[in-house]
Amino acid sequence: MSIAIRALSKRFGHFTALDSIDLDINAGELVALLGPSGCGKTTLLRIIAGLENADAGAIQFNGEETAHRPVRDRKVGFVFQHYALFQHMTVFENVAFGLQVRPRARRPSAPQIRAKVEELLSLIQLDWLADRYPSQLSGGQRQRIALARALAVEPQVLLLDEPFGALDTKVRKELRRWLRRLHDELHMTSVFVTHDQEEALEVADRIVVMNHGRIEQIGSPQEVYDTPATPFVYQFLGHINLFHGRAHSGWVRLGELRVQAPEYQHAESAPATAYVRPHDIDLLREPEDGDTTIAATINRVHILGSLVRLELRQQADGEIAEVEMTRDRYAADPLQVGDAVFAKPRQLRVFLNDGQNPERSELPLWSGDGDGI
Amino acid sequence: MHFRLKQRSVLPGFNLALGYTLLYMGLIVLIPLSAAFIKTTDLNWTEFWAIVTTPRVLASYRLTFGASLLAALINTGTGLMIAWVLVRYSFPGKRLVDAMIDLPFALPTAVAGIALTALYSGNGWIGGKLALIGIKVAFTPLGVVVALVFISLPFVIRTVQPVLEDLEAEVEEAAACLGATRWQTFRWIIFPAVRPALLTGFTLAFARCIGEYGSVIFIAGNLPMVSEITPLLIVTKLEQYDYRGATAIAVVMLVISFLLLLLINLLQWWSRRRHAA
Repeated sequence: MSIAIRALSKRFGHFTALDSIDLDINAGELVALLGPSGCGKTTLLRIIAGLENADAGAIQFNGEETAHRPVRDRKVGFVFQHYALFQHMTVFENVAFGLQVRPRARRPSAPQIRAKVEELLSLIQLDWLADRYPSQLSGGQRQRIALARALAVEPQVLLLDEPFGALDTKVRKELRRWLRRLHDELHMTSVFVTHDQEEALEVADRIVVMNHGRIEQIGSPQEVYDTPATPFVYQFLGHINLFHGRAHSGWVRLGELRVQAPEYQHAESAPATAYVRPHDIDLLREPEDGDTTIAATINRVHILGSLVRLELRQQADGEIAEVEMTRDRYAADPLQVGDAVFAKPRQLRVFLNDGQNPERSELPLWSGDGDGI
Repeated sequence: MHFRLKQRSVLPGFNLALGYTLLYMGLIVLIPLSAAFIKTTDLNWTEFWAIVTTPRVLASYRLTFGASLLAALINTGTGLMIAWVLVRYSFPGKRLVDAMIDLPFALPTAVAGIALTALYSGNGWIGGKLALIGIKVAFTPLGVVVALVFISLPFVIRTVQPVLEDLEAEVEEAAACLGATRWQTFRWIIFPAVRPALLTGFTLAFARCIGEYGSVIFIAGNLPMVSEITPLLIVTKLEQYDYRGATAIAVVMLVISFLLLLLINLLQWWSRRRHAA
């Protein structure tokens, strides 16, 4: 089922949770709503489910207006961050609940319900837990039960609110892959909310990056990572280095570095910031001609499994920049602390500090969620 | 047989705490109650049986336990509703209402009894209107129920309230997403969660009603065989210096109360075991 969201707005008192959101979700797609806490992603999900009412705007399921349809008639499966299992019911009763509460005319017979629940429990590979109570299960098991419970009523849309947020890293990674496989089997339109960029990049077909109640960018994981539309998306997805400078007639000067920026042909000495990913920087032993490198010294070297992360101190202004490279590349030229190097950005993106994104100038030099990409 | 009285525990002070508990229970509960039993041994079995089975005493048992049961049941229903309203909705004056709930605890029962009698008697504010449609409250068993409802109001509310507060709204939302109606959500999700607290509240209210004296004697009218409660009968006997008769009735009341409370506790235990995870 496709979902169309048109000019959706929601305020809580003076706080604008959603500011005129437009979004199309195609049938059978797995979409991630990604953003920091308070960006409105959960509110959007809850409005789609009908658990919250929008102040303005419309949501259409398959082109049909949903505003007046109560939650229980929307045929949405909702999975909560903290599972929301029925504590006094067994796993079996939890999963069967959605079928048991149907009006008699549409309720399957007891053997049909039993068969359906058993089928779902074997789909989530937990059929051996049918008689347990939720409190006897681990977090990962509980969340899978919650998912089976949501699937039992054969919803048209599956909505997941930070489904793996309460789980530890290892289980989270496992369940992520499992969710992706499950989605590939069922092809159900699914929307999940997360603040974990890695999760969104790994699981989703498309990512909707949100901030302050607005959509910053919609695109495939590769698109949003490789070509972020706004400085916010740049800093939210993955790590970045910032270089401050000025744009002037199609060129941007960032300290010693001078790069072409044809999109700012008419800029006149406008303050600008360049965004460079740590893995998009080459380290050279010798400077290159044409202002393409920045002189720096190695400040620190971290060996992180398959990656090596080097901290550079720029010679001109003492600012710190980070560079990531593979172990192999590092092994070819093992730089040591104190070595003089010349950093050459392979790829960078310049945004003008035009005040449209006031948070840009305050961006931390080294940002991102800390999990690393 | 090896009998282990004490289990090793990381919690300190087991001996002291248990000793103190037993001493306290003994002084406060056990000794006064056993005194009643010991006093009845002055009577022989036939005398005892004759005293506790006179028609007037039997009628008072029926009234005391019947009215208490009814009042506790009424308060279980309304108490759940009031707790629900206080937890789930916000309205102006909510804190005031919340504070008012404990008033029946604080009010001297005689004051409650006199106030209720004035309100519900034939020329009272409410009683006068009810008399028009032929309902008599004061000086009837119905009046006893009204007084008991009043004084046992807080129990169910105060036991259910915290449980409802702890109940996650998400669980109800999950039920709604699965297609449950409001009633089904209440019946299958909320009610089972509050049931143990409800039963506890009911038990406390019931126990309080059985023992109530002060408020009831004003509104009941105390007609023998009709609106005379057992505690009043005991006091009457005491006033006539019939200590043995008074303790005999008291012992019967004590035994019945104990059996009923034990039964409710067993029910509680059974229900918890069945639904415990």
